[in-house]
Amino acid sequence: MKKPLVSIIVIVIVIVGVALIYYATRPPEVVPTIKIGVIGPMQYVQGIGHWNGATMAADEINAAGGIQVGEKKMNIELVQADSNEFINITDATNAMERLITNDKVDFIVGGFRTEAVLPMQDIAMENKKIFIGVGAAHNELCLRVAKDYDTYKYFFRGSPFNSSFLGRTSFIHLGTVAAIMKMTLNIPKIKVAIAAEKAMWTEPMIEAAEGVIPKMGMELVGVWRPSPIATDVTAELSAIQRSGAHIIFTVFSSSVGIPFARQAGELKIPAVQVGINVEAQKDGFSQATQEMGNYVATLNTYCRSVEYNELTKPFVDGYVERFGETPTYTADTYTAIKYALAPTIEKAGTLDADALVAILENASYMVPSGKVEYLKDAEGNHLHELRWGPGYLTSLGVQWQDGELKSFWPNKWKAVPEAPEVTYKGIVPYKIPPWVVDAYKQ
Amino acid sequence: MDLIRFYVRKLFTVLKNEVIVLPSRVVVVVFFLFLLLLPVFTNNQYTLRIFTLTCIFAILAASWDLLSGFTGQINFGHALFFGVGAYAAAMSNLHVHLPPWASIPLGGLVAVLAGLIIGIPCLRLRGTYLALTTLAFPIILMGFVFAFPDLTGGELGISGIERIARSRVTNYYIVAGLMFGLCTIMWKITDSNTGIIFHAIREDELAVRASGVNTTRYKLLAFCLSGFFAGIAGGLYAHFMRIAGPSTLEVSMSFLVVIWAVFGGVATIYGPVGAVFILFPLLEFLRFWQEYRTLMFACVLIVILLYMPDGLFPWLRDKIETECPRCKIRNIATRTVCRVCSASLE
Amino acid sequence: MALDIIISGLISGSVYALLAIGFSLIFGVARIVNIAHTAFYMVAGYCIYFATHEMGFHPLWGMVAAVILVTLLGMVAYKFLINPIREHEGAVLIATIALAMALQEIMTLIFTGTYLSVPSLIKGYFLILDVKVFYQQLLTFFAALIALGVLWALLMKTRLGLAIRSTAQDREVANLMGINEARVAMITMGISVGLASFTGAIVVPLTILDPLMWMHPLIMMMAVVVLGGLGSLKGSFIGAYILGFAEAIVVFAIPAGAFLKGSVALSIMILVLIIRPEGLFGVTFEEER
Repeated sequence: MKKPLVSIIVIVIVIVGVALIYYATRPPEVVPTIKIGVIGPMQYVQGIGHWNGATMAADEINAAGGIQVGEKKMNIELVQADSNEFINITDATNAMERLITNDKVDFIVGGFRTEAVLPMQDIAMENKKIFIGVGAAHNELCLRVAKDYDTYKYFFRGSPFNSSFLGRTSFIHLGTVAAIMKMTLNIPKIKVAIAAEKAMWTEPMIEAAEGVIPKMGMELVGVWRPSPIATDVTAELSAIQRSGAHIIFTVFSSSVGIPFARQAGELKIPAVQVGINVEAQKDGFSQATQEMGNYVATLNTYCRSVEYNELTKPFVDGYVERFGETPTYTADTYTAIKYALAPTIEKAGTLDADALVAILENASYMVPSGKVEYLKDAEGNHLHELRWGPGYLTSLGVQWQDGELKSFWPNKWKAVPEAPEVTYKGIVPYKIPPWVVDAYKQ
Repeated sequence: MDLIRFYVRKLFTVLKNEVIVLPSRVVVVVFFLFLLLLPVFTNNQYTLRIFTLTCIFAILAASWDLLSGFTGQINFGHALFFGVGAYAAAMSNLHVHLPPWASIPLGGLVAVLAGLIIGIPCLRLRGTYLALTTLAFPIILMGFVFAFPDLTGGELGISGIERIARSRVTNYYIVAGLMFGLCTIMWKITDSNTGIIFHAIREDELAVRASGVNTTRYKLLAFCLSGFFAGIAGGLYAHFMRIAGPSTLEVSMSFLVVIWAVFGGVATIYGPVGAVFILFPLLEFLRFWQEYRTLMFACVLIVILLYMPDGLFPWLRDKIETECPRCKIRNIATRTVCRVCSASLE
Repeated sequence: MALDIIISGLISGSVYALLAIGFSLIFGVARIVNIAHTAFYMVAGYCIYFATHEMGFHPLWGMVAAVILVTLLGMVAYKFLINPIREHEGAVLIATIALAMALQEIMTLIFTGTYLSVPSLIKGYFLILDVKVFYQQLLTFFAALIALGVLWALLMKTRLGLAIRSTAQDREVANLMGINEARVAMITMGISVGLASFTGAIVVPLTILDPLMWMHPLIMMMAVVVLGGLGSLKGSFIGAYILGFAEAIVVFAIPAGAFLKGSVALSIMILVLIIRPEGLFGVTFEEER
């Protein structure tokens, strides 16, 4: 009885071992396509956005006959990689390595959690693959390009623009909303409370806000720092209400954005929310807050019925029709593939990364959310950072109005006094929540 | 010349008489050869990466076993040592510019300090109390990480640290070599007098104390040793991944270590090492069905445990080897008489 | 502010108490460290979401269905996954971790990782001394108290409770006295998971649903159990309120350090343990040999 068992175990181990090694090292199939790896947390909204945007771009390009590379036309083939990065960073880097080594992708788009994107970036750079980061906003990703250009030049930012620009835009939103409040409700001096999640990326923004808010003629009444995964913020909300704030400047990228909005709405806190609340950019926000997140405003990239330029409508409408939801900024994998990679490849006539980098970093092209140009730092080193400003990328200020996401900014916006006014098609006026109006009406 | 011939002959004798006779020893030799020759057969960066990480986690799992398996001080917060090692190595490399060969042992030493700090209050705790209390330490430390973002980088971690070596293959050999060296040291420790006392503490602490052994000191020693090896694993991880972030302190990290060690069989050292070499590549292998990956992983764990609750490797070893009832020497299961004292094995 | 702290502390304290007592029960009776305890709490939350959002039932029916379904699930899991390996402590431990992972993955597959929410039973809020309190919070608090009361009556006033308590005290002797130990363990597992799912049901309208939501309460629950003393229900009850209030005080007293609430609560637990290694109300039993 003993012998067969032993041999069975040995055989099983050998088979599994051989299979493992074969699987890990099998020869790549040779197919004349351009392989693009899409990496992201595929079980989560962010990853789903990555994948949807990429499939849409690939299908459009392939339907049009593919990309002209030198003499021949090549189709795009997407490879999906689940980075699982919210749960396991090691997993994310393994997925990246696998994409490059085993799936032999030519380009990579995606990535979300900065702690995972930094090592993922290292792996892509070691292998000299162009990696367009779609999701992580941290400056460090692009500062590395300037610091060590030869190593990191293959990294480009796809979306969103970096956190300092995010801050700048949200201060403009704050100013816009404050002006509206002041005018409608006759408040002499607007009081602002900052509610920012306790995370590294919010620190520079809070510091900037503490300087900017008094300069904008408003009074800062306090800073509250809930945990990014807090589920009960009634404590913070009561304190904010007691501070007499008219506006809550929110800086949230994590789940705390939902309970904050929901509880503020349910408790009818007499202050409007404006700033960044990533959860409020998603269509599911209304359900997630049980409709209590009405009137919450946030910075956003896309909004149904708002057009930056003639490219916006086909993209947003097509996306909504196909996937049943508004694209969020991780769906900018679409932009990365269709407007960054494809034209550059056609222009270079090759898939060689160095040639493509040289063309892409100096390119300037239209995308559904504006116009892309890459920045240089003060010494003239390439940063591969997106340029922000009127005429380029600006993003939108959006507000939940009766269960729908509407855009209220830019509305006759002037970046500097002599600049031309910017208003996109489909902008609606900002609405102050009725309970706030009641609280301050004189 | 004669000397070389002598050693070659000795090697063959040892191989023939000590290794070939026992399947478990053969497996160890084959495993060693496999690790040694892996880069010869494949130059695949991904495979090398997986096995480098596997080696790092093997050290970690073995260090857990050294503490929890042997002395029975169940540590549910092993991520603390790992994270402390990773952060210490990363900070010393980034701020003081220590090269990896210095910063990684430094990580180990700082983890020893962490072992002392948590070991001393935990000495009075026993069993489940200890397990559940240790779980809290990495979370408290995580609070510190977020409280001093300037120093620790907050949720972004410390990035931009040096690689261990430039090429993947060198990296692999360094880590694999260290894994072998450190695991052998751990195994030797458990085989020494100290190891026997560790064993005894798990079985009956009162009796050990009654025989005049200062168990407190030994338990603290176990915490420090385990912390040292786990800290080295953390340092290696930080230098290999080139980032040390809060994810090294997460609860799931602590759980993973326990999963590996218990799955492989505790109080063996080779069990946890083997378990990591099965489970970590398995999770990668399951990528062909990526949505169901973690689910299948969990199911494999449950199913294996239902049949082998003492762990995979002790079960396997029992199947292929039997212990001679008279002289306690191990024999291959196919033998009917003991290879040393020729007692009947039936 | 004091009132804020009291309300917030009472609610999170009651929630921790419910979870901790369930965890403590099954540990006492069967010596099982059930890591999957809060995973059942998460599953209950998703059940309610499914019943209210996908099938359109009233939240109350969703809650009833969730408690029944999850309790059954827990008993089935106990019967087939945990009971066969009960003698092996380490194996049980990772079997329950694996079970929690599996439940988390199944929920991710069905509902994705998107944040979801369920409606409150009673909407709106009222004012006590100028502090806004949700009706749902009040409801949660009283539901928790009632559940604790019922449990107390069950344990102290019925024959089943007597059997559970005696098994917890000494399994072997209880067995000798004619108590069907295996059945008591099974029933206790049912009660324990039932409590977890009930907690999930009353808490979920106050929070958000996601597949990783079991992690934080798991740690706090374990801290409560250790603080109060393993196997002591009174200890769990009081420990829960201590940690609940500790969290509330941190949040209200130092708003800029609100993210530290978990760390502070856990440090308190460790401090108490340094002074009293067997927890507040734990029985000092000489080592089991």
